[in-house]
Amino acid sequence: MSHKKFSVINTPVHNIDGIAKVTGRATYTFDVKLPGMLYGKILRSPHPHAKIINIDTTRAMELPGVHAVVTGKDTLGIKQGIWRRYEELCDEQILPLEKVRYIGEPVAAVAAVTEEIAEAALDLIDVEYEVLPAVYEPLEAIKKDAPTIHEGVERNINVTRHIEWGDVDEGFEQADYIREDWFKCSGQHHMCMETRAAVSNFTPEGKLTVWTSTQSAYYHQALLAGVFGLREGDVRILAPYVGGGFGGKFEIDSAQFCSGILSMKLHKPVKIVLTREEDFIASKRRTPMFYYVRTGMKKDGTFVARESRMFSNGGAYTGMGATALYLSGFFHSFPYKWQSYRYDGYRVYTNTMPSTSMRGFGAPQAMFCSEQQIDWMCADLGLDPFEVRRKNGHTEGYEVPGQAFIASCGLEQCINEIEKWVKSKGKLPANRGIGISSCGFMSGGIFNWFDSPYSFSSAVITINVDGTVELHVGCQDIGQGSNTTMAIIAAETLGVKVEDIRVHSGDTAHCPADLGAWGSRQTLMAGNAVKMACEDAKKQLLEFAYAEMGINIVYDLDIKDRWVHIVARPERGMKYEDLVKKALRAKDGQRIMGRGYYTPHRKGMISPAYSYMMQAVDAEIDPETGKIKIHEVMTAHDCGQPINPLGLIGQLEGAASMALGYAYLEDMPFEDGKMMNPNLVDYKVIRAPEMPKTDIIEIDTYEPEGPYGAKEAGEGLTNPTAAALGNAVFNALGIQMKELPITPERVRKALAEKKEAQK
Amino acid sequence: MINDFQYLKPASLKEALAMYAEHDDCKVICGGQSLLIVLRQGMLAPEYLVDIKHVNELKYIKFDEKDGLRIGATTTHREVEKSDIIAKKYPALVAMEQKLASIQTRNWGTIGGNLAHADPAGDLAPVLIALNAEIKFGNVDGEKTVPLDEFFVDYFETQMGHGDLVLEAHVPAPEPKSGCAYQKFNLLDSEMGIVAAAASVVLNADGTCKNARIVLGNAGPTPLRVTKAEDLLKGKKLDDKLFTEAGQIASEEAQPVADIHASEEHRRHVLGVLTKRMLKKAFEQAQKAA
Repeated sequence: MSHKKFSVINTPVHNIDGIAKVTGRATYTFDVKLPGMLYGKILRSPHPHAKIINIDTTRAMELPGVHAVVTGKDTLGIKQGIWRRYEELCDEQILPLEKVRYIGEPVAAVAAVTEEIAEAALDLIDVEYEVLPAVYEPLEAIKKDAPTIHEGVERNINVTRHIEWGDVDEGFEQADYIREDWFKCSGQHHMCMETRAAVSNFTPEGKLTVWTSTQSAYYHQALLAGVFGLREGDVRILAPYVGGGFGGKFEIDSAQFCSGILSMKLHKPVKIVLTREEDFIASKRRTPMFYYVRTGMKKDGTFVARESRMFSNGGAYTGMGATALYLSGFFHSFPYKWQSYRYDGYRVYTNTMPSTSMRGFGAPQAMFCSEQQIDWMCADLGLDPFEVRRKNGHTEGYEVPGQAFIASCGLEQCINEIEKWVKSKGKLPANRGIGISSCGFMSGGIFNWFDSPYSFSSAVITINVDGTVELHVGCQDIGQGSNTTMAIIAAETLGVKVEDIRVHSGDTAHCPADLGAWGSRQTLMAGNAVKMACEDAKKQLLEFAYAEMGINIVYDLDIKDRWVHIVARPERGMKYEDLVKKALRAKDGQRIMGRGYYTPHRKGMISPAYSYMMQAVDAEIDPETGKIKIHEVMTAHDCGQPINPLGLIGQLEGAASMALGYAYLEDMPFEDGKMMNPNLVDYKVIRAPEMPKTDIIEIDTYEPEGPYGAKEAGEGLTNPTAAALGNAVFNALGIQMKELPITPERVRKALAEKKEAQK
Repeated sequence: MINDFQYLKPASLKEALAMYAEHDDCKVICGGQSLLIVLRQGMLAPEYLVDIKHVNELKYIKFDEKDGLRIGATTTHREVEKSDIIAKKYPALVAMEQKLASIQTRNWGTIGGNLAHADPAGDLAPVLIALNAEIKFGNVDGEKTVPLDEFFVDYFETQMGHGDLVLEAHVPAPEPKSGCAYQKFNLLDSEMGIVAAAASVVLNADGTCKNARIVLGNAGPTPLRVTKAEDLLKGKKLDDKLFTEAGQIASEEAQPVADIHASEEHRRHVLGVLTKRMLKKAFEQAQKAA
């Protein structure tokens, strides 16, 4: 297969910024210190829902060392949001003028000479509130007599989504067996190592520079320009290193907004770094969802109908939640060929922190419900869950009606591999079970609710005199290794080595625009842009090579491992470095530059390509205490052509730790709108010593739309785990877990109910 | 944010006690694994901190066949975990340490600090109490030794007053035919226990129970002895039925408080299960022991 002849791709490469990071030299926003810099702190609402009657900042301003205190009145009062094409979904003023809608919402901000003084000044701001009745759960907030959270929004319904194909009613008529269940999926905190942070520097020339922790420098450039009334080009975002994003860092956050307002008022740099507690209570979270799922099957396991209704806890504002609402409903059908399918999603405002996108983007919740129900139905009908999944699974060339076209699909091989692995384990001891779940995920969204006039991804390369390469990309490295991925694609395409490439990213002044790191888009979209830019530069270089080498035009020339050569006679050629020097002279000293871009076209509604996988979780449950021990997580995975095997393993392990956390540990309990565990003692995340063994079987496929056949690898791996653990518990103890996380108490409760039912 | 404080660094125990006595608004820091958290949360804002990390007089592990084990207050958890003699004579202590938070915490945190902090969810106290330990503390005026189970008074409160420092934990030499076991219940193995139970069993030559101690962790304001269940076992030939019964009593005697991590019912239930299991484990060890 031609796509396998690589010199760089698919060989393990350590992250190109790894040494800078582990030696502490990488400059994160937290490390930025500018001359004359002030420190900001944010006063946050103690009420879940209240009118702001008055804010008196006099006493705070009198504190020595305080330079400014700002409130909503100091802003342009613009209601902003990331769904820029839809005015009604731009609903958040970061310093609200009239009322607060969740505990932790910013109401004022202070800049002072030290962080301590800024913190002390917060206590001196007098805010008069009129407390309003509040509502916290979507199924309550949707009732007729519930408090109104946003004026004019009926029943607090923020967005709805309908997806339908086939004749669902007819489908249920044909079904031999119909089952319906309710599920409750919890929220989850993004838990980035780096909390939200920004250093804003507005200068008298009218230009604003912001160092910040972002998943999309371009989004923040455009969004901040919008709320501050500046031209996009007068806002520069710098994000050289970002300590994690996971879907939580591409809307404007309070650190960015408040430091910006303060800096514009003072013409001084202002730094705001959220504390861990602030990050917990006042960023955003994975969307909690209630799912009603009704499924119809034939006796032989054919999926004839599914009808689902979902109510999500949107919290106080829209954020990226509208996208999660659509994607949850779409991936809820994955990865199967439903003869008929209907989904109605309702995103409901509540007086809790806003929910948004998070790694998996609504799919982990959807899979938890779908994949468990399928196993339960198989058990009810005496069918083999592997066989049923194979029978109904997506295949190459399938079209999800009206939604998507599947150009590459390794699902069947994934199922076969995991089936083999599970069978190799033989009979398990008591209280131990292996559960499976299959799923798929997108390789970047085709959505443009942001209304960007730029290409989705762009890249520019410049070749220096010695053959080294400056690669400018807009895609954002947030720790997932995209800079390394782009360097590999560039080196492969141009025919040089990874160490020849210097990647420039995270700077809107010097890098081309790109939508950034979300929806697993960068490998495919930015990767295609980089490949195109390198092909452009290479073509120019080879033109000089033809002239220099004086060869017959019927011969093909290529560059590999810094050697420019005739493809049919590889020994005949010249050094790449020599060619670059000659080309420079021939072009009157102009450097060779290549440009590339990518915007998906004619690829359906969702994504240009889809990854597929099946995962198995081996777990043991203590039936007396309900405690779960995870022994192993095994995944068979089709991500097209892997670019960097090391990066892939990193993504797999990271996804497994995050998804296992979602499955049985991480929870965000609220009491009267207040998060009860905003710290790392009470919010449980898996640490390195507690990670179970994880492994991966790569399935070889080729995605025609991806660079060198590559698809997404990382976000989708978060989707199957909670469902697979639920199925492991089902297989071990015969109980059905309908609520996340799967806690010991819930296990015990389900066991007690099972015992009761058997009486 | 941690408030500013005066940092005092005594060179000897005598100097440390004098500094502590001299300043009213003063706290003692050693490993800082408990104190730093409450400082950072702003729950405490002392004017002075006495750092006894370098008071080497209190850093020791001594063992004598007759006298038993003596651990100085500034000995770290990691030193206990890595001690060969403790592994040989008191394996339950080492097993407990291996699951106490993270290696980083064990490298810094000390025995004295852990006991003085008096968190009822602490891992160390239940095991030491099950091993019948006593604790020595003192101030400029003198020293005092009390059984460890009498040392704790309430949540985060001990018999110590201002100026008192923990000096040493003393564990008697292991009796023949004895065993001890500890387990905490949590979601991740090295997290703080939601609840915990320690048990020790000493057998007579005829195999009957000579003595048993049951201590519950995070089941009330202090580590909780379940004497009623201990009394049930003494003098009897032990079996699963008795262990279950003892667990039942432990479950009833416990005073756990519900929070986001578990309901009261679940805590009581698990305390019963752990008590039963730890008694059985300690009993089996005792049967095998010399």
